Amino acid sequence: MTETTDRLGKREDASSAKTFNEAYGISDGAVAGLKHASSDSVQLSLNGVDHTARPTWKLNETVEFYRDILGLPLVHAISARGWGPPGHHDFLHFFFDAGKGATIAFFYYIGSERPEKYVPEEHHFYFATHTAWAVETEAQLVQWKETLEARGIKVSPYTKHEILESIYFTDPNGYPVEVTLRLRETELIDEVDARLTIQAAMETEAEARAENRLLADIDTIWRRKAKLVDAYKGAPA
Amino acid sequence: MITVYVVDVPEFRPMVETAEGQDGVRVSGPVKGYWTIEAATELRFNRKAMKMKPAVWYGIFTGGLNGEIADWGRDEVRVVGTNKPL
Repeated sequence: MTETTDRLGKREDASSAKTFNEAYGISDGAVAGLKHASSDSVQLSLNGVDHTARPTWKLNETVEFYRDILGLPLVHAISARGWGPPGHHDFLHFFFDAGKGATIAFFYYIGSERPEKYVPEEHHFYFATHTAWAVETEAQLVQWKETLEARGIKVSPYTKHEILESIYFTDPNGYPVEVTLRLRETELIDEVDARLTIQAAMETEAEARAENRLLADIDTIWRRKAKLVDAYKGAPA
Repeated sequence: MITVYVVDVPEFRPMVETAEGQDGVRVSGPVKGYWTIEAATELRFNRKAMKMKPAVWYGIFTGGLNGEIADWGRDEVRVVGTNKPL
């Protein structure tokens, strides 16, 4: 037996957790004091999406929407007594096929009512939490939009971002769903540019925070970016 | 002096193509993945001339802008020089 599988065999499981924070690995969010990846020799990596999950208080509508209207197969369902952290409801956890082994999952908590703060809001802060599901061709993107509209679903116009073209709609819970086409693969220059943009943003954000103010605008970041790009271009290769 | 850096990818290349040949505008590059567009006092970009979708238009200075946006609209932007710190 390898060292790794030996460790897996002895690993703790969530049923031993005594608190909510312990069960979910919830920290205080501080990054000061954490070790960077560069400090050890381990390169962690991920291999795509397994599932996304959100709560629903509209069980029947959710199943009808994803399974019967969108036509995504229901491929797995867990039904269980509440376990783990104290006060956990009995629940259903069910999964719709989203391609390449990924699934769109929901939790339905038996005997619970939707708290006010989970009511969807028409605000970009709320819509920022979403998942974009991939299609492979422009024809498929068009087919999604036209088919959903023909089935009566309100769908956004096409939106061409820099490397993505997307359509959006909402499910019965009010959750936004994005279907997107990757327009091109990212190149080395995209990574360089992302690093410089985020560096410019982090620097100017830290300066603003030190002066107890909020970043004023994107122009502030664009100006710092100009300085960073100028230095990058002039630096020896 | 106004300097705009344009990352050398297809989405932003129309900025370079429409700037080239404009009076008082100097285009050079790309150097290490960035085009440089310079003008002495004023620089304009037009969205329709660039055939650019809004989601890209609103980020056209993501490559870096040493200048100040004097007028910003859905279809045209006018940039002037600035002494604001970079």
